[in-house]
Formats: sequence, C-alpha cells, structure tokens
Amino acid sequence: MTDTASSAPARTGLTAAALVGPATAVVALGVLGPLALLARYSVNKYDPYEFMIAAVSPENYVQFFTDPFYLAAFWTTIRISVLCTAVCIVAGFPLAYVLARTQSRFKNLMIIGVVVPLFVGNAVRAAGWMTLLGSRGFLSVSLERLGITQGPTEIMYSELAVILGIIAVNLPYMVLTLQSVIEGISRNLEEAAFSMGASPATMFRRVLWPMALPGVAAGTILTFILAMNAYATPVLLGGPEFHMMAPLIYDQFQLNNWPFSAAVAFILMASTLALTVAAGIATRQRFRT
Amino acid sequence: MARLELNALTKRYGDFHAARDVSLDVPEGEFLVLLGPSGCGKTTTLRMVAGFVEPTAGSISIGGTDVTRLPPWKRNTGLVFQNYALFPHMTVAENVAFGLEMRKLSKAETAEKVKGALDLVQLGHLADRYPRQMSGGQQQRVALARALVFRPDVLLLDEPLSNLDAKLRQEVRIEIRALQQRLGITAVMVTHDQEEALTMSDRLVVMSEGQVRQVGTQRELYETPASRFVAGFVGRSSFLEGELRDGRLVTQGGLALETPKPVHGKVTAALRPERIAVSAEPPAEGTNVFPGTVELVSYMGGLIDLHVRLSPSDVVVAQVTNQGGGTLPATGDRVYLSLGSPAVFPASDPHARGH
Repeated sequence: MTDTASSAPARTGLTAAALVGPATAVVALGVLGPLALLARYSVNKYDPYEFMIAAVSPENYVQFFTDPFYLAAFWTTIRISVLCTAVCIVAGFPLAYVLARTQSRFKNLMIIGVVVPLFVGNAVRAAGWMTLLGSRGFLSVSLERLGITQGPTEIMYSELAVILGIIAVNLPYMVLTLQSVIEGISRNLEEAAFSMGASPATMFRRVLWPMALPGVAAGTILTFILAMNAYATPVLLGGPEFHMMAPLIYDQFQLNNWPFSAAVAFILMASTLALTVAAGIATRQRFRT
Repeated sequence: MARLELNALTKRYGDFHAARDVSLDVPEGEFLVLLGPSGCGKTTTLRMVAGFVEPTAGSISIGGTDVTRLPPWKRNTGLVFQNYALFPHMTVAENVAFGLEMRKLSKAETAEKVKGALDLVQLGHLADRYPRQMSGGQQQRVALARALVFRPDVLLLDEPLSNLDAKLRQEVRIEIRALQQRLGITAVMVTHDQEEALTMSDRLVVMSEGQVRQVGTQRELYETPASRFVAGFVGRSSFLEGELRDGRLVTQGGLALETPKPVHGKVTAALRPERIAVSAEPPAEGTNVFPGTVELVSYMGGLIDLHVRLSPSDVVVAQVTNQGGGTLPATGDRVYLSLGSPAVFPASDPHARGH
C-alpha cells in the first residue's frame, strides 16, 4: 500500500509528460525553430548577387514601413480582415443561434451544410467564384440579360471579390464556434429574461450576447487570423493588381529576398497577434460590465 | 396578484395532444399544483400560461385580461425554473433587479426593492455574490426573489424543488409556500412529486395524457379519487381486480369483498395501505377480513410496510405504525387484514369515474 502511494505521484508525472511531450516536441521543432531562424533572417541584408548577407540591421523593417506600396498592402490586409470578421459575426450569429436551438431532426445535416464549403479546396473554390463573378460569369450575364445592367459587370479581380471569398471560407469557423457556445447557454435563461419583461432585443443585449461573448471572442480570433493570413483567395480572386500580406511574403521569397520576406512575415505575425490581443482585452472588459 | 383562468386550452403537435381542453379557474391568492406523470401535459400547460407555447385552441386570461396572444414579456408572470436559470454573468442583486429594470424603475427604487426581496428570502447578505458561488438552495431562493420582486400577477413554478437534495427541498418548499401566502400571490406549480403537491397546494389538479383528471383539495383527491388513476397517483393504493358476483367483488384468487355500493361487471378495488388494519389474531369485528402471509417487510422507521399475500393472485400493501417494543412482523408471518370498505372503479379504463 505504502509503495503504491509513494510512487503514484511520480507515475502521474510521467504519464503527463508522455501525454504532453510529443506535441510539445513537434511545436518546438516545427514552429519555434523555423521562427527563430526567420527572426534571424529578417535582420540580415539582401544582396542581388549573394542574396543574403549576415548582419544585424533594421533595414528591412524600415523599408517596409517607409514604402507606400508595402504600407498599402498592410492596411488593405487589416481593413479586409476586420471587415470580413465583422461580417462573419453579424451573419454568423443568427445562423449559429438557429443551429444551436433547432429541434429539427435534420440538425446534423444542417451542420454538415455549414461545413461543406470547407470540403472544397481553395483553387476549386476560386474557380467557382470565377464562373459566378467573372465578366462572362453567371451574375454578369444574368444582370445583362435581365436588362438591369448594360455591358458586362466585372466583380472578379476586385477587393469585393476577395472579401466575398474570404467570408465564404471563414464563416463556417465562426458559425461552428458560436453554435457550440450558444448550445451551452440554457434556453431557460432566455425564457427567464422574457418572463421578467425583456423584449427579444433586450434579452439579446443583456443575456444572450454577454453570455456568448467568449464564443464571439474565440470565433473572432479564429476568423481574423485566417483572414490576415489568407493567401489563395487574394491571389486567385484579387488578381495581379491586388496586394495582401501573405502573397507579398511569397513574392519576396520567390525573388530570393529572404531577409525582406522574413521581415514581412514577422510584421504580419506581430500585427495579427497585437490586434487579436486587443480584441480579446476589449471583449473581456465588455464581459465584466 | 390576479385571478387566472384557462378556458379549454389545447395544444396539438400533429396528431398528438400535449394538452387537451384544459379548463381551470385559479382564484386570486390560490396555490394550485399541477400533478401528473411525465408527459401528462402539466409543463405544456404552464408554458402556455407563461407564453412560451402557443395554444392551438382555447384562451388564457389573467386578472380578467385575455393574454392568449400576448408574448411572454407582456404577461407579467414570475417564473421559477427547475435549474434556477439565474444569469451567471450577473450578481445576485443584478439578477433580482432585472425585472425592475425592464419596468424602468428608478435606481433608488430598484435598490430598495431588491434589498427587500433578498431580505424576504434571507439572502440580503449575499447580494454581491455570483450565482456560481452559491448552493442550489440559495440559488433557488434568489430565483424566487427575482420572480417576486416585480409583483407578478401570477407566479409560475416549474418543478422548482427537483434539483435540490431532500433536506433543502423541505426548507425551500416551506419557504415558497410561506412567501406565497404572505404576499397573497396567485401561484401555479408543476410537479410530479405527490408529497410536494399535497403539502404545498390549496388545490391540486391531477393530469394525464394531456387532460385534467380531477381537481380538488388534497383531502378531496385523497378521500374520494375520481378514478383508479387518481387513486394510484395521489397517495398510494393497492388494487384488487375482480368481477361482481352476488353483490360482492370476487377476485381471481377467490376473495369476496363487500363493496360500499353495488357495482357491475369487471371492477377494481383501491385500498389505502394505512387504512388496512393488521392483526395476528382474527379481529372480533370488521368488514372484509382476510387471512394472509407476509411476503415482504419494508422498514421505514416510524412506519412499516407489509406486503401481504391474500390469495395466489392478490397481494396488498398494509402500512402499520412502529409502536416500539414487542416483535415486528416478519416475512412468513400469518396475519389478518381488515380491508375496510374499498373505493371501487370500473376495471376497463383507468380514467373511468368510480362508483
């Protein structure tokens, strides 16, 4: 008896280590290692002939924040990410609410319906958007034939197309996150509010929304990060004249300018992190009041 | 505080009647309990009064005003749930203040009323706590204060004690009843627990299959159950089935019972366990005295249940008080039961009126 009692804590410690170990190792080797390397590269210098020269210089960062072209890409990325995330919250909440509260026996089918868009690869999805939004696409031709517009309507290769594309990808993440949180909020709480005289709007503002805020925060973080780092959608739907951060990194990388590419990657990561934390703090303060 | 009237209230889901022609008149200040097994329509009825279920037919009026088509937030009903349903992101005081805020009371007035309501349930000192920091009993008392603070016309309680353990259940039960009487508020409670129903209510409504089976005071329901179902659901009963022969009820096992009134065809006799007298020797007098063998003794402290076999097919439960000293009946003992005069119902339908 004493033997098992004394060895039990040691064994739990070992078990815990065995459970946490592999994932920690993968994260350490696969993420932190390359990240450290990238950090090192970002302060190196670029040379057209030798490509990368070891140095410790802020040059790449300075270049990014002084060049209007890169700054424009930076602001476009933030603007589109904020907008897409906001639309995902506004459009996703009602959908998530219906999914969470439905008594329908087709509930599982509905959830699959929400997830189905994610089954389609980015390239295939973009091709779909092209046939819908292109100048000879379904929407343009329909509008023209119906006499609503004259001449082709070009939505492809525009900010609007990119926004639509990103929302279509991100919305399922928001809906699923919110749905699981709303399901955890007892329907009785809503009914209690109603019985005390709260209209549906008041109930939402005072009960449902504050209680769903942790889910809203989680969904916001998820969709915001996805939008900030979107690659295929801006490239395929935005066209060559449209610039967001993730494609920019790859472009620089293609040009063999690893130091600048690394610096842009770090700026993207830092700004994503900063905005996410800011959003987190904002929601938490709202939650307290 | 108002009279509540339900008039032929019906809720149908496709072919299924969740509630059928429920008509009730609850006078101001009465505590009415809806009692029945799960799925009997009691909760549906309560939810129709609260406004969460729209009736298929019939009407509801509170204080003489027809509220059938009013949304829940315009009905002025106080609601207490089985799972308390306190807002977890608000303090106890904020929870109680919610209904007053909806009624646009001034800050000062709200604070005063919240304090009063919390003092009423003896929780004034916990106003700044969050619900998760309280016990189940405390949470339910907060829920009660929250439902009463804005003086609802009707207080609705949906199995309010089911989540509490036995001791707390007793406490909160007394508290609810005392408050209801003190405030003179009209209250409707749903429960499946007959002890709760018997001890709290002014009047009881026994429901099954969506229909009202009997309405009356505890005593009326217990003494004169309208059907075999009510006899089995309100209090306990042993049932003996048989057929009428020569003015007596003859069971399959051959017992011949005297019945208070002449009956016809196949019938069921209902016997209350505590009305059966048990003796070791044949009693000098008494109606329907039969010998039997004790099959099971269920010792409950102050009371003892004896399951006694009177014939190969007839077993009844007799309840005796524990007098202390002497010997307790044991399994296998030979005893005499004086069954007294049983209530008799037609055997065909559990809801058929008795004789």
